[in-house]
Amino acid sequence: MTVPDLTPQAMPDMVRPQEPKWPQIIRWGVTLGILIPLIWSVIGLEISPQRLWAAPGEVWVLISGMFPPDFSNPGDLMGKLLESLYVAWIGTLIGAAFSFPAGFMAATNIAPRWMVIPMRGILSAIRAFPELVLAIIFIVPFGLGPFTGALAIGLHSIGTLGKLTSEVIEGVDGGPVEAIGSSGGTRMMQMRFGVVPQAMPNIVAYWLYRFEINVRASAVLGLVGAGGIGAEIVGRLRFRGDWPKAGAALILTIVAVLLIDAVSAAVRRRIITGQPSKSVISKWMIAITGSHREPSMEIKS
Amino acid sequence: MSRIEFSNASVTYPGGLQALKEVDLTIEEGEFVVIVGLSGAGKSTLLRSINGLVPVTGSVKVGDREVVGASNKEIREIRSDIGMIFQTFNLVNRSTVVNNVLMGRLSKVPRWRSMLGMWPAEDKEIALQSLERVDIVEKAYIRASDLSGGQQQRVGIARALAQEPKVILADEPVASLDPVTSHIVMRDLQRINRDLGITTIINLHFLDLARQYGERLVGLRDGKLVYDGSIQNVSDDVFREIYGRAITPDDLLTEEVT
Amino acid sequence: MTATAEHVTSTRPPEPTRAKVFIVPLIVFTIAIGFAGFLGEIGPLWGAAVGAITYGLFRWVRMTDSLIDAGTLVVAGAVGFAIFNLSIAARDPGVTAGLALQSSLGIAFFGVATGWVVLRHSPGLRPTTILLSAAAWGGGSYMALLTAVQMGFLDRIIEGQTQELTYPMFIAVTVASGVFGATANVSFWSRLSSPFAVGFVVLTSILAWNEIGFSVVEIWTQFTRIGEFLGDFWPPDFFWPRSIGQPETFNMADALLETFQIAIVGATIGCTFAAPLAFWASRATAPNSTVYWISKSFMSVIRTIPDLFWAVFFATAVGFGKPFAGALAMIMFSLAIMGKLLSETVDAINLGPLEAARAAGATHNQVILRAAFPQVAPNYVAYALYVFELNIRASVVIGFVGAGGIGRLLDERRQFFQWDQVMAIVLVIFASVLLIEAVSIYVRRKIV
Repeated sequence: MTVPDLTPQAMPDMVRPQEPKWPQIIRWGVTLGILIPLIWSVIGLEISPQRLWAAPGEVWVLISGMFPPDFSNPGDLMGKLLESLYVAWIGTLIGAAFSFPAGFMAATNIAPRWMVIPMRGILSAIRAFPELVLAIIFIVPFGLGPFTGALAIGLHSIGTLGKLTSEVIEGVDGGPVEAIGSSGGTRMMQMRFGVVPQAMPNIVAYWLYRFEINVRASAVLGLVGAGGIGAEIVGRLRFRGDWPKAGAALILTIVAVLLIDAVSAAVRRRIITGQPSKSVISKWMIAITGSHREPSMEIKS
Repeated sequence: MSRIEFSNASVTYPGGLQALKEVDLTIEEGEFVVIVGLSGAGKSTLLRSINGLVPVTGSVKVGDREVVGASNKEIREIRSDIGMIFQTFNLVNRSTVVNNVLMGRLSKVPRWRSMLGMWPAEDKEIALQSLERVDIVEKAYIRASDLSGGQQQRVGIARALAQEPKVILADEPVASLDPVTSHIVMRDLQRINRDLGITTIINLHFLDLARQYGERLVGLRDGKLVYDGSIQNVSDDVFREIYGRAITPDDLLTEEVT
Repeated sequence: MTATAEHVTSTRPPEPTRAKVFIVPLIVFTIAIGFAGFLGEIGPLWGAAVGAITYGLFRWVRMTDSLIDAGTLVVAGAVGFAIFNLSIAARDPGVTAGLALQSSLGIAFFGVATGWVVLRHSPGLRPTTILLSAAAWGGGSYMALLTAVQMGFLDRIIEGQTQELTYPMFIAVTVASGVFGATANVSFWSRLSSPFAVGFVVLTSILAWNEIGFSVVEIWTQFTRIGEFLGDFWPPDFFWPRSIGQPETFNMADALLETFQIAIVGATIGCTFAAPLAFWASRATAPNSTVYWISKSFMSVIRTIPDLFWAVFFATAVGFGKPFAGALAMIMFSLAIMGKLLSETVDAINLGPLEAARAAGATHNQVILRAAFPQVAPNYVAYALYVFELNIRASVVIGFVGAGGIGRLLDERRQFFQWDQVMAIVLVIFASVLLIEAVSIYVRRKIV
């Protein structure tokens, strides 16, 4: 291979910069920073090559034990699944209702500083408790059952939704808010007509997104006796060894979650863009909502 | 050998749009060819059929290698000898300038080296020389996004040069640039063509630039070849015919109709 | 203000009728259904929910404009409902198959009536349309309610007062549905301000509220007794092995360390494998459509499975009480999250550099690694930190099913009703989650 002489005669006094050293240092630093803790953890968890080698086989035994799944009592499973969905729904409702004002109180462009800082502290403190831990605490006063699960999920959702809501509110265009203020609008009016119309689509989309997450969370809460399909799966796998039944519950959960995710994603897209997407699910959604007509046409008629 | 030969070449996109219709064209080694036509006339498609980026039928030969029907490996070999310059520069904004130029070496270095980013010193040298060629070597270790549009396009040219190409394809190289920078870039391309004897094929939509820098003019209209000849003989009537309409100030870089 | 000649000639557009037509009936409807809900009447809610869905299906039919389609949908709806009812009949000995079929016929009638009206319906507001629609909805709701009573849906709550309570309810729901039907055909649907969406949300909320026995009174009652519970939880006991005098087998420090190790292994390995998967599951960078569809479906399936299910799954497979199971669970969990986040980012990359690399003769892998990956690298690092943060949270939880970590300790103490020790563990979890989150946010801010 010959390198053609590309040296230009026209600019002889051009200076080549020194190649900086720091990218190399960072590269090795990051590599070691990942590898050393990994090795430490692998040793600490006693993960040996033999166990790694055996794992796929053991997983396969379990999966083949789950098939064919036992759908002999679908009503029962459906009931449990519905209970999980109800818990998720109410949890999301609680989260949405309380996070909405909380989000305003935690937004720097709306609330005064003395309110924002403690509000943010409260929200992140709430978020630091996983739903399961909250459920364990709530079981003491409220007893076993879906009610406790909904409370735990609701409280945790206030934390996460509150943070997201305040971020959306902080992202709104300040112009309209200022315009309302300059024409004599009160603080309340500024929020109602300046902030809410801009932020609402994104906030509602986050509610839906939280519902998707809460469906998974509520499925899990069954484990500590907070209702739902989780107890069905965990109990049958862990204590009763009834693998086909657990397989049926697992498949049902997966299908339900997939469906909810798909519908919710289509609705979210529509809320944010105002336009239906082209997927099958959203066509179905359009069919249900009858939104194929342009809004401008509706105003005319 | 890097003679480019189209015979009966057509391109039909998966959507059914026929962007290039039965083109016959031969470009000799070392030529500086300017392609003009309205947007949608098939200029970009013609360029991309040379390095097989579009689904082309008929026959397109680069040197003695056939693009149509080439295997993945063969097409990569053909592409490795053809540098390409883009309207939107197509740099990886977050990477440094020299890393962008080294993309031109991808086909020349051992794969594991390129994967790990451990470039041979020799290839780094070629990359830096390419940057010197376009007078921008002092920016070698700066992020590409920190450069101005004109500088980014020169990095794009350096990337093509780093391939040690026999052919350079430039797809609207100055469409995103201001007039002064446009002239600098066009002069760079002209200089490269003259000094290194690299066949250069450029899509342009500014007629005055085409007239100023081009040697040979190819006109496309609706995917068909409608003009092919020396740029000296080209009158405004010819442009009018290629465009299918009168020349407007929008077709010129400087705002005066000649 | 004085009107000029120009003003006279320009026509004002009429105010959109949506606001006036909808708000009042919607409020009436909501209150009626809400009333039903708070009294614990589930049947009408089912009726209205099914009605809404049927209505939606017929709106769809109207677009295709074919009676045959309509017929097919009615039959399909009736069959679907028959299956649903029969499954209830199978569960509840008080409901016979005959009753279930009868209710299905009711739904079918409802569907036909609604469908007929909707098919006849054309844009605009005509008195006949409103009347027919009201009749269809009211009649349909009545039938649905009737079947609900027959099937014993209402027995549980009403407890002996069926006659007195149900007839006013019948009337309320029938009227409400009629009003809904009358207005729904005006058919504006602009984002969320539609009767369908609001109605759906309200209905589902009430239904769920009832089904899980949610009670604000209960929350208040327990809140007033907060002192009693605090006594159980407070003060937290951080040093129980010593205080009980047991030998220290698995103390808090060990548990926390194990949690961290599980999170590290899960995040590192999961994120590593997620990278190629994410590139395969994005159209721009997938080598071919088969790989694209396989990786995309694989990722959507693993995403549906919650962390805890992975844990119990692997614990069952490789043995309970072993942190190895937890590490495997966290790998899958990380893979799912990172795969989704990264592939969404890859979907949005600039395709220009990819074309440039391809034009320079790069192989597919080279294109991905040198032209696509640098574009998403900062996001990748930020996501990896986020995934690690989530792993810490999740690995607290997975101990509950015997997959190691501090959750195992929490579960154990809980089963002994040692609430002060539970509180101590909760506080440690709280502190470590906050710490990790703070570090992660700091680093992410530095990078991106």
